[in-house]
Amino acid sequence: MQDFINIGKRIPKMDAEEKVTGKAVYIPDLKVPGMLYGKILYSPHAHARILRIDTSEAERLPGVRAVLTGYNTPPIKFGFYKDNPPLKANKVRSFRDEVAALAAIDPDIAEEAINLIRVEYEILPAIFDPEEAMKEGAPLIHEEHLGGKEKKPTNVLNLPWRLIAGDVDEARKNSAYVAEDRFKVTWVAHCCLGTSGCVAQFDMKSNLTMYSNTQIPSLAQKDYLDALSAMGLQGKKVRVIKAMIGGGFGSKLDTYAYEYIAILLAHKTRKPVKIIFTREEEFFATSPRQPAIIDIAQGCTKDGKMTFRDIRMTLDNGAYTSWGATTPSVMMMPISSLYKVPNVRYVAKCVYTNNTYSQAMRGYGNPQATFAIDSQIDILAEMAGIDPLDFRLRNANTPGEVTPQNFKINTCGLRECIDVVAQRLDWRQNRGRRDGRGFGMASMIHVGGGARVYKSDGCGTIIKIDDFGTVNVITGATDMGQGAETVIAQIVAEEMGVRVEDVVVTHTDTDICPWDVGAHASRTTFVAGNSARGAAKKVKEQLLEVAAKSLGESPENLDIRDRIVFSKNDPEKKSPLGKILRATHYAAGGKMVMAEYFYDPPNENLDKEFKGNLSVTYAYGTHGVEVEVDKETGQVKILKYIAAHDVGRAINPMLLEGQVYGGATMGIGYALTERLILQNGKVMNPNFLDYKMLTAKDVPNIETIEIETDDPSGPFGAKGIGEPGLVPTAPAIANAIYDAVGVRIKELPITPEKVLAALKEKTNLK
Amino acid sequence: MKKFEYLKPHTLDEALILLDQYGGRARLIAGGTDVIVMIKQKEISPDVLISLQEIPDLDRINYNGSLSMGPMVTHRAIEKSEIIRKNFSALTDAVDVLGSVQIRNVATIGGNISTAAPSADTAAPLLALGARVKLKSMKTERTIPIEQFFTGPGETVLQKDDILTEIIIPKPLPNTGSAYWKHQRRGALDLPILGVAVLLSLDKATVTCSDLLCTASPISTVLHSLEGDEVFCKEVRIALGVAAPTPMRAIDAEKLLRSKKISDELLEEVAETAAKEAQPRDSIRGEAWYRRDMIKVLVKRMAMKSIERVLKPEETVFPVRLW
Ligand SMILES: Cc1cc2nc3c(=O)[nH]c(=O)nc-3n(C[C@H](O)[C@H](O)[C@H](O)COP(=O)(O)OP(=O)(O)OC[C@H]3O[C@@H](n4cnc5c(N)ncnc54)[C@H](O)[C@@H]3O)c2cc1C
Repeated sequence: MQDFINIGKRIPKMDAEEKVTGKAVYIPDLKVPGMLYGKILYSPHAHARILRIDTSEAERLPGVRAVLTGYNTPPIKFGFYKDNPPLKANKVRSFRDEVAALAAIDPDIAEEAINLIRVEYEILPAIFDPEEAMKEGAPLIHEEHLGGKEKKPTNVLNLPWRLIAGDVDEARKNSAYVAEDRFKVTWVAHCCLGTSGCVAQFDMKSNLTMYSNTQIPSLAQKDYLDALSAMGLQGKKVRVIKAMIGGGFGSKLDTYAYEYIAILLAHKTRKPVKIIFTREEEFFATSPRQPAIIDIAQGCTKDGKMTFRDIRMTLDNGAYTSWGATTPSVMMMPISSLYKVPNVRYVAKCVYTNNTYSQAMRGYGNPQATFAIDSQIDILAEMAGIDPLDFRLRNANTPGEVTPQNFKINTCGLRECIDVVAQRLDWRQNRGRRDGRGFGMASMIHVGGGARVYKSDGCGTIIKIDDFGTVNVITGATDMGQGAETVIAQIVAEEMGVRVEDVVVTHTDTDICPWDVGAHASRTTFVAGNSARGAAKKVKEQLLEVAAKSLGESPENLDIRDRIVFSKNDPEKKSPLGKILRATHYAAGGKMVMAEYFYDPPNENLDKEFKGNLSVTYAYGTHGVEVEVDKETGQVKILKYIAAHDVGRAINPMLLEGQVYGGATMGIGYALTERLILQNGKVMNPNFLDYKMLTAKDVPNIETIEIETDDPSGPFGAKGIGEPGLVPTAPAIANAIYDAVGVRIKELPITPEKVLAALKEKTNLK
Repeated sequence: MKKFEYLKPHTLDEALILLDQYGGRARLIAGGTDVIVMIKQKEISPDVLISLQEIPDLDRINYNGSLSMGPMVTHRAIEKSEIIRKNFSALTDAVDVLGSVQIRNVATIGGNISTAAPSADTAAPLLALGARVKLKSMKTERTIPIEQFFTGPGETVLQKDDILTEIIIPKPLPNTGSAYWKHQRRGALDLPILGVAVLLSLDKATVTCSDLLCTASPISTVLHSLEGDEVFCKEVRIALGVAAPTPMRAIDAEKLLRSKKISDELLEEVAETAAKEAQPRDSIRGEAWYRRDMIKVLVKRMAMKSIERVLKPEETVFPVRLW
């Protein structure tokens, strides 16, 4: 291994002290002079016509500065499908529909005033089951929405998710074993500890500044600009300033109604307006993970070679459309490319209902699909009479492979991951006893080298160096707690021969920072890292050039180590960085040492058939788990948890483990305890008492294993690791439960009730 | 949050006078972990909060065979009390898993039972331990068995001007063990799907084969081997939380076991009977069928645990897992 100074080191996050001492400034801490407080009135019905809104009493309350409804605001439409106005007129389609909003001089008055708004509704028949919503005659959520060949009104979105490779029907005929099952996954929440919020502020020229906690500053800027246009404010500027982000996990990949409402209120009052969600709002008015009904069939030959994978999915879109509706595009990845399957068919439908609408969430559809796929791998292996470990090894992906979706698999450590998990669990010794203790594993693939979702997958970096040798890195990347700042500093420091503490990373202001598509697809370390490294190389070249003059040495003979420029030939010829910079700044005809670099990875957009090399490289991993199941209560306890990941290279093992711990913890919650309980469209558990996110007492000891495959395209060999940690968790646990007590739970979360009911059914059948 | 006046009387009499003066406009506040949440959620909107925090001695624990606790004893204080752990184990079991350490540091036993949530973790243990509570107002003072204290979900016999001033647990019979199990989805910060408390007093005089008890075998096996030794149940109390509108005693189940020779089969029957007596309901926190099933499982397990605690008194530590 190379001799790195900053790479591969366990360096705590640069903002760790601020965060643990409570000094970090999050949106709720932020105050802008003259600021008003906004509040939103939501619908009390899942589906209803708005007959009348009377805001007069609220307007009369002293301290209220503006009251808005869908009837007195410009026609802004936002979201991926542009089907969502910030304030609803005529009709509400879910419990989270925003009906009115106001701004007041303090939060208490705002709250009091919101209760003074009177709205009359005519309740409409509502629909909460996507399969019902597809049927002829079902109540229409958006009457004006037309679809299908005949362009008829329908609840089915015009998103024809469809991936076909090979001949599934033929392959099915020739399969020795075929497993066919229905799996179901439900809504889970991101549970960001910092609730959603923003401050919108207009200057005298009607330019907008948004203090936001977005994961996508550049794209949010575009959304806000579109809104300004709709408000008649063409040609105005938008500046997005990020506060500390109290958790993203995909929840902040889109812009939401509350942001537009803050903008509208700020414009109306000519004052900065802040909106902060309560915990309850955070649970019912933000967008959870996409639920799905998954019909899956897979087949294999007599000796366990996979022949086909055939999946049909129905996704509950909710009443409006955000990125949740596009999760099938990412589900295609495990469906086509997790293990070697020559023939693949995948069709998915997104259906409007009167439920809450979904968003991106860590893994972006991948955990849903992988739950079905890798649970069923165990079912299929059992049919074929093959140990699921051998079954996986037999079908494991390998370097150099081109998958049915045309992914070009570069480095691939899947085999190593499976092997090491089996070894740590002592798999061959332990598995298959059915004595209440069980062992299970599951694997994953995810993009590890960016993902060309938009036309560009790029990120820009600017680096300048001040008089004292401090390196200012100005990046498009977003640090939302994952540690992008620290990792970028390590990469730049390594490339430039300085120390991490010499590097200052700025990533919070669109007026200053270069463009980037956002913190999604586990791309930041890879894309922003490569971008930062490119800029660092250029700056170093410039530095060596100016140093060459003052040291009387040719640039090729110079290098930098530990802040000192030195000659490789004559160690006596050396000078501290700061000194060289001061010399160039103060000299007549001086110059700035500064460089920019834009890195856009050589990956491909998916074509019309949804094929193409989406990412430059792919991240693989395998999780293994030992559980104990209480046969009398149905409770599952995790005794051992192993998470092995092909990470390319661990730039910072401490932060990397943090990502895997966090991912696996979210995954265990997804598998066993977490769900938003919706009854007739209403979220029944909008609090941490009844939403069962795991506590410190519930999280098992997660053993991480990093397989370093040193990817040639990654910065110092690194791949993305932000999402993978939660992708294979649920199927690994479900497989272990089956091994423990012989019941197969196909619906998440796997509650004690479900396990016990299945156990009873099994004994009754006997 | 609605504004309120905050009063801090220094004596119990002062507090009683204030409570009498303000009547329904006032609320007592102990640790505030229920009352502040209720105000924030707009379930109540008192003009005045009267704090019991400054009144001396309300946080005292006295033990002289029987146990007396002031209402301001925190769950953390109970958790740390070796006397309670040894003699009234079911109560320790309850506070060990109540909320989190931060909550236990401020939340009180008086507040827990006065809120009278069907899920209140100390309620079932207090029922099983046969506790009595003392209620005091300007005019009256009475001591009642805890069974009579709860009248409905969130409802008690406490009148507007009453203060709960003492909780008394009688001295247990010799050879008594007790245990509480909170059946929950998480290891902390959770309310029970079901809570089960059992107290058993054994007639151990005839138990001779004590070396058997030092083995690691499960108590059912132990009982089985002891059959010849005739272990009798002298007294038993079985209490359930979240199994009915109020914390309840499973009286029929107790009758079945009282003065009988304990056996695996009998315990099974007792647990079945308790499940029949209960009236669990469906809620987002748990389904009725599951709660009923769990009564069957957990009454038996808690009975076993109680027996184990009589036979191995040095091992009062509650295991994280029971199976
Ligand atoms: C995060 C969290 C977790 C929790 N977890 C649990 C749990 O696991 N199990 C559980 O059972 N509870 C739990 N609770 C609820 C609560 O903490 C307990 O019920 C606690 O014991 C209440 O005590 P307190 O001193 O805070 O009562 P307070 O909130 O001060 O008072 C509660 C009620 O009792 C009345 N009151 C208080 N003292 C007296 C008195 N001496 N006489 C008459 N009336 C009185 C008050 O007027 C009020 O109505 C939790 C609460 C929170 C916020």
